Amino acid sequence: MNTMIMVARYHLVRPVLFVAIPWATLALAFAVNVARGGDTFRDGLAVFFCMFFVVGVQRIGGWLPFGLALGATRRSFYGGTALLGVAMSLVSGLVIAGVQAIERATGGWGLSITFFRVPHLLNGPWYATWLTSFVGLSLLFVYGMWYGIVYRRWGTLGVLAFIAVQVPVALAYSWSGVGGHLAGLSALDLTGVIAALTVVFLAGGHATIRRVTV
Amino acid sequence: MTPAISVTGLTRRYPDQVALDDVHLTIGAETITGLLGRNGAGKTTLLRILAGQEFPSSGSVRVFGSSPAENENVLRRLVLVREDQAYPDFAYPDFKVRHALRAASLCYPNWDAGLASSLLEDFGLLPGKAIKSLSRGQRSALGITIGLAARAQVTLLDEPCAGLDAVARQIFYDRLLAEYSDFPRTVVLSTHLIDEAAALFENVVVIDRGRVVLDTAADGLRGMVTTVSGPVLAVDSFTEGRPVWERRGLGSQASVVMVGQVSGEDRERARSLGLDLTPLSLQQLVVRTSGRSGVAGALTERTSA
Repeated sequence: MNTMIMVARYHLVRPVLFVAIPWATLALAFAVNVARGGDTFRDGLAVFFCMFFVVGVQRIGGWLPFGLALGATRRSFYGGTALLGVAMSLVSGLVIAGVQAIERATGGWGLSITFFRVPHLLNGPWYATWLTSFVGLSLLFVYGMWYGIVYRRWGTLGVLAFIAVQVPVALAYSWSGVGGHLAGLSALDLTGVIAALTVVFLAGGHATIRRVTV
Repeated sequence: MTPAISVTGLTRRYPDQVALDDVHLTIGAETITGLLGRNGAGKTTLLRILAGQEFPSSGSVRVFGSSPAENENVLRRLVLVREDQAYPDFAYPDFKVRHALRAASLCYPNWDAGLASSLLEDFGLLPGKAIKSLSRGQRSALGITIGLAARAQVTLLDEPCAGLDAVARQIFYDRLLAEYSDFPRTVVLSTHLIDEAAALFENVVVIDRGRVVLDTAADGLRGMVTTVSGPVLAVDSFTEGRPVWERRGLGSQASVVMVGQVSGEDRERARSLGLDLTPLSLQQLVVRTSGRSGVAGALTERTSA
């Protein structure tokens, strides 16, 4: 645990990099949205979520070699990085819930903007928004880490193969009608599914990092 | 006493080459060992395996009696800054020297911040400089700073002098020795600047094409191999019955590389025969032991006898 916290602190030697990148992207998307006069443009929030994926990739791809040079084990590096990503998701989810509450209270910033409200998914009470965004952000961070690990271990070809393996899974998912079934779930049930998937990805990344060399 | 590092039958195979081939090695605690050999000989692979960054194909590696791979107890006491060390500057261009040092200070309990900043000053390296924009030599200076200021019990330095100017190299040699005497630790240092660094080494390990061709105390090597040159007949008479590596003739003159200590009596005789005796430097020794079969074997037998 101590070394996991050490790794988390290592990631934060330049905290602005960890925190600023997703939030700057979100602020930009929001500004664009306001400038357009409040068209419903919810993709901005999706971009924020995607940035967690990107940060997850970079935290392994960019930060692992020096981390191992400084005596971290793969295990503790992975655990510490995931811990930090999950903590960031927890805080970010809370901020989203808070901003969403403001958006609701101000009638969409006085412009009827629904930037921080996503119908069905992020439109419930503050704690539901918090929970769902927390789990969603964690999923994307962990998924990004897994890509970073695959890249470290097998390079670009490995990443392509990794994507190729997932295509049949995605196709099977859409053909089997599970997709339609999921759409019928409540936001809370869906959050449960995302959480389960996060655990699966976390285990996958853990199994993949064990033999990574730098 | 358990040796700091012990390697038995270590082999590392890659699809296109054998980087390490049945390596056996023991390195005592609190010594400075020179790890020498040509480019691609396997030095960095060996250091990476010692630091748990790479895995052996077969064989065993022990640092303080345990395998270093994924072993926190070992790795927290060990530092390896590589010649080609990757920093997070790839993804984050404004990752600066001071960020790297702060990261290292979090990871090493004995980190000496004062030493780190005085080394930076000596090397003329600014803490606010982005790592991405460092020159080859400046990257080496950063690596040395991290490696020494970490004060890790096992300090592995992979080609620390690459790209450093002569003044900076001298600073490194001086600082390494001063640090070593203040806080003795096990240092393994790979370098191509052999004669420059020779005075630092207590032990010398030469690797060639993945095999250890020489592993001996540096003291034992000094004066162990001598070039005898002069008139052909005199050279032949002087070297008769002694192991010889190489013989070159040029007209009536000859030059022979001879193995074995030269006694005072030998010197006397050489002088009377008009012969010139020149001890082979460590660098010349490495040149002659690398890439040639049979030669090193003879020397290892000699020095261990």
